[in-house]
Amino acid sequence: MALLEVEGLTARYGKLQVLHGIDLSVDEGEKVTLLGPNGAGKTSLLCALSRTVVCGGKVSFDGRSLGRRDASSVARLGIGHVPAGRGTFVDLTVLENLRLGQLGRARSTAGNRQGDLDLVFATFPILADFRERMAGQLSGGQQQMLAIGRALLGRPRVLLLDEPSLGLAPLVVRDLFVSLARLQSEWGLSLLLAEQNARLALDLADRAYVLAGGRVVLSGPTAAISSADLHAAYFAGHPAPSASRNEIASEASRD
Amino acid sequence: MTEFVQQLLGGFATGSVYALLALSLSVIYSGTGILNFAQGAMAVVSAFICLTLATDGWSLWLAIPVVIALSAIMGAVVERILVKPVEGQPPLALFTVTAALLLGIGGLVSIIWDNEQHAFASPFGSEAVHLGPIVLTAQQLGSTGVAVVVMVAVAVFFRYTDLGLCMRAVAINAPSAVLLGIRPGILIAAGWALAAGVGAVAGIMAAPTLSVSSNMMDGPLLLALAAAALGGFGSRVGAVMGGLTIGVLDALTGRYIPGLSGDLSIMLPFAVIWVVLMVRPLGVFGQASAVRA
Repeated sequence: MALLEVEGLTARYGKLQVLHGIDLSVDEGEKVTLLGPNGAGKTSLLCALSRTVVCGGKVSFDGRSLGRRDASSVARLGIGHVPAGRGTFVDLTVLENLRLGQLGRARSTAGNRQGDLDLVFATFPILADFRERMAGQLSGGQQQMLAIGRALLGRPRVLLLDEPSLGLAPLVVRDLFVSLARLQSEWGLSLLLAEQNARLALDLADRAYVLAGGRVVLSGPTAAISSADLHAAYFAGHPAPSASRNEIASEASRD
Repeated sequence: MTEFVQQLLGGFATGSVYALLALSLSVIYSGTGILNFAQGAMAVVSAFICLTLATDGWSLWLAIPVVIALSAIMGAVVERILVKPVEGQPPLALFTVTAALLLGIGGLVSIIWDNEQHAFASPFGSEAVHLGPIVLTAQQLGSTGVAVVVMVAVAVFFRYTDLGLCMRAVAINAPSAVLLGIRPGILIAAGWALAAGVGAVAGIMAAPTLSVSSNMMDGPLLLALAAAALGGFGSRVGAVMGGLTIGVLDALTGRYIPGLSGDLSIMLPFAVIWVVLMVRPLGVFGQASAVRA
């Protein structure tokens, strides 16, 4: 049985419905990515899972339904959510931000907390160097690492990551994804990643769901998804601009 | 010159009461975005309870901590029962609730106690203290000292305790705090409890000078609002600096500007608020909303 089991998930902002019945699952130890164009519903899906948007449908975590739990109680259950745009506490120091990640957690000993903090500093060494600096003074990439580190300290079983590459330079994104690859083994968690950078996300993840218009239009192991499949899913109904089918097929090997 | 220093120190003494009240306002404001116009009225209740206990024979040094603790509990209860239901509503609804609280508490005080003025003996005694040529009452020195201790305690609470850290986080970015598993509801109630406790100290420290009555804190609340505007709503440092400044300004303008002593001195807080809005609306220490995506 999957760690996270989602059936018929819907979500709305006021009267606007943005998710129209999503089925999805994440197994223990898996890395799953959500892809799709802007407005497809990737962020809404993650928000529906963390209960920060009005939603319906069935979500089971570790065999138990989430029911009508509110957002902070879902977080304490073990679903960590790093929102798009980082959400760091800009007027607090790096260390204070990290400490807050630990305070929300249900049970932990002082020894565990120090050990976890050391592990975060090992995963993201730059945070150790800047521990007394105000979070608002860090660069975008550093704030992203801080937001992830802060969520990790809650020891989630599933980490929901919303567009970590947003607004970051390509080199920074590449380094970030190297860290993400190690997260699952270092922290023993499953990953659900929403990303615009399809190539890096497909390289990282085991399985992918492609969303468009609030629905899943493609899903399966990442190894079996080609550029052509992606293109068809993203731009359903809009033909490829001037690229021949042969060119798309040769891109499918993804160097 | 002596006169000037005398007025200055007297101004600090009264200013410390405004600073405490402004601190209460800023704690609630930064946690919830609500300006609690009933903060003064809540302090009046605390002063009356203290008066009743003292009249019943309690030692003031026992009564005061008990009243502070009781006030903190009442603050949390008020928040849970009256304020929580209007969470997330537009500002007009929030303002209406605190205005209703202000009127309601005033009425309650009239019923439970009365509309008279009651003398309140200073817990510091009635001697005068001579510091060279300057003469201050024990009440002035004592109340300033207590106020400073409370301000330092609040600063330590926010800087070094986990609960204080959580409250600061919720004030900066509540949605992020929720995603970390922090329960904002409890923290907001704690903020009201802290504000009510600090307000209780303000009321009790002001009681010997102002006499205890149902409208004793009306003037101080106005000055505290001016102080918070000057210092920046939501800034604790600003509230304290603003309170002390307003206290000193009040003393100096009352003494040195002819015609502005007595009842007309109430012009001062309005003038200060007006100037702040014209020159720097955020206040000296205020910051634009720090919630960044």
